[in-house]
Amino acid sequence: MSDSVERRHVIALEVEDKPGVLTRISSLFSRRGFNVESLTVGHTHVPGVSRFTIVVIGDERELEQIRKQSQKLIHVLKTFHVVDHDTQSELASATVKPQHAVMRELAIVKVHYDEQSCRPINHIVERFSARMLHWSGVDLVLEFSGTEEKVDAVFEELKQVTVLESVRTGKIAMSVEPYKAP
Amino acid sequence: MSDRSTKTLPEMTGAEALVKLLEAQGVDVIFGYPGGANLPIYDALRNSKIKHILTRHEQGSVHMAEGYARVKGTPGVCLATSGPGVTNLVTGLADAFLDSIPVVALTGQIPRSALGTDAFQEVDAFNITMPVCKHNELVRKESELVKAIDGAFYIANSGRKGPVLLDFPSDLLAENFPFDLSEKCHLPGYQPTTQGNIGQIKRALRAIEHAERPLVLLGGGVSNSGAVEEFLSFVRKANLPVVRTLMATGVMSVDDPLFLGMIGTHGNTTANQLVNQQADLILIVGAKLSNRSLMRPDLFRKGSKLIQIDIDPAEIGKIIEVDIPLVGDIKETLREANLRIERKPIRVGQENWCPKPHVRTKTMLPKADSAEAMEWVFDRLSEIDQKLHVTTDVGRHQLWANHHMINPKHLPLITSGGLGTMGFGLPAAIGAWFADPETSVVNITGDGSFMMNMQEFIVAVEHDVPLTVIIINDYRLGMIRELQDAKYGQRHIAHDFNRDVDFSLLAQGMGGVGRTVHRLEDIKPALKEAIDSKKPNIVCIDLERLFRLSKVNFEEAS
Repeated sequence: MSDSVERRHVIALEVEDKPGVLTRISSLFSRRGFNVESLTVGHTHVPGVSRFTIVVIGDERELEQIRKQSQKLIHVLKTFHVVDHDTQSELASATVKPQHAVMRELAIVKVHYDEQSCRPINHIVERFSARMLHWSGVDLVLEFSGTEEKVDAVFEELKQVTVLESVRTGKIAMSVEPYKAP
Repeated sequence: MSDRSTKTLPEMTGAEALVKLLEAQGVDVIFGYPGGANLPIYDALRNSKIKHILTRHEQGSVHMAEGYARVKGTPGVCLATSGPGVTNLVTGLADAFLDSIPVVALTGQIPRSALGTDAFQEVDAFNITMPVCKHNELVRKESELVKAIDGAFYIANSGRKGPVLLDFPSDLLAENFPFDLSEKCHLPGYQPTTQGNIGQIKRALRAIEHAERPLVLLGGGVSNSGAVEEFLSFVRKANLPVVRTLMATGVMSVDDPLFLGMIGTHGNTTANQLVNQQADLILIVGAKLSNRSLMRPDLFRKGSKLIQIDIDPAEIGKIIEVDIPLVGDIKETLREANLRIERKPIRVGQENWCPKPHVRTKTMLPKADSAEAMEWVFDRLSEIDQKLHVTTDVGRHQLWANHHMINPKHLPLITSGGLGTMGFGLPAAIGAWFADPETSVVNITGDGSFMMNMQEFIVAVEHDVPLTVIIINDYRLGMIRELQDAKYGQRHIAHDFNRDVDFSLLAQGMGGVGRTVHRLEDIKPALKEAIDSKKPNIVCIDLERLFRLSKVNFEEAS
């Protein structure tokens, strides 16, 4: 095999919003031996159409195979292989050229807020432009969004304070290339 | 649908709508088994011209649908109930999935109000069958029923064909609703490619023209797309030698000078050498290159340029990277290639580069345990010069039949290649007869495979099917023993049945005719009588006695 290096890849799927479509996709990935690192799904602006963003680790040929297998599912409308700026050049030889994309992730974190922790928390909020979603008098709920690296950095910084609960959405991605009507 | 239009539509039950739609799809026979949840469909079938064949096990019904589809080319339909009914279909659905056979499976489900409550005979049919079907659906709403049925037949029989399962809650089947039977499916995510890309066809032809030792690997896809004529015309025009996979029987005759045998673990040595070492270009036509066909993908790839034609884009480059991918229906793609060759011939005056002619008997099949005697049986069967649909099961007999069934009137063999389903052959033969009642059917099987679905022989008796079951009886699981010999240092376990079955008596017990053969000279008359009788017959070949007795005969004669 010319390229069997395992890398992180992002696949985006536009699907008909039918019962069981999540199972079809996740079972296909597990059957073909793909480890799903994150999977997000939500409605698009088109009624009845949802969009998945799936982050997987695998080699490029395997990835192309899973993209084709996904495309075979009757309820899958479109598949894209999208890639961050940094890895673009490494993937130049893919059969279907990965599309240049922007990616974002969102995290919600509940932290304990008191006299001791207020300074580092304020610092983190400012530095990462967090939004304050809720203040109970004791706990503070914060929203962060940005690239995966940025959210990773947030979690790194949060080690200084007491995190009570946290959740990350996983990546969502969109190609920045000129839109071509299907 | 507006309220006004619903009022003009006649009310009928979901089951009645289903049966009307099946009739409109041209379904003439359904293989099925009733149960609580699908009884509404049975009730509606009473007033239909569709013939219902009551099988003796649901697995039989799906294999019959496969046999039917393989002969007729249109989807075979099977019907089962919820719970054990649908779990018994799973093997056959997986079989149809791996061999790309169009099957529409209909199952009853418990009423919608009880779904998810672990009700009697409830299983999650949708999720159980999802990975073994091309597509499946649980029909949850009346308004989805018509489109789902239209879609099931379209999906099963287009693109890369395959099984589709529809699961119907019994209340939906039993209650009245104003169904609009003229609705059609809308599948924006399903557009199977048919015509191969012209630029790629040109590139492929150029590559073949420049190759020194080009070879064609013929797979089951050629028959599946009905492209036998186009294929033969293509390889003749370009003078290309051909090797095949197990699924591609009956496309090229064994005495064709361009034909060089079968590849794979049970293929011909020559054919394997050609693909692994000698060819500098291989054109793969409709083959999925499983691990049984391609023992050494590394060698296959090494030093040869690969072109692959397949209707399924995901097959291209799945196992090995190819240089020239060609996504499209084989028939249409080869037709286009043929037109181009006619205008501008390629490989003009090129000699057949292959060093050795194909020797049919030089196979990689182990000859231990009287295996050679199977050749005598299949040679004699091949001498019976009339059209037959022949199915096989899985085991030693399957591979010997694959090499030694050579009469084009008996081919293609209907066999379970991908899944290797023991018990496939008998019901598939019965299904084949319902697709073509003018032609007698033969099931070549082993004692192990036969006993997996032997209850279906009674169905053949019930419907007076001109069926001959040839049991190659070695009183054991011959291929298991073969594998234990080859890979487990002859450490044998669990291959011997330890109890002999009198299959001839069994045939009689089920209302058929039975014979046991142990002499070489008796094979031909026994087969001839059985086939000529046009009745359900079992001809049991006692393999080892046949071999021993005949060897004695030969020694005495010489």
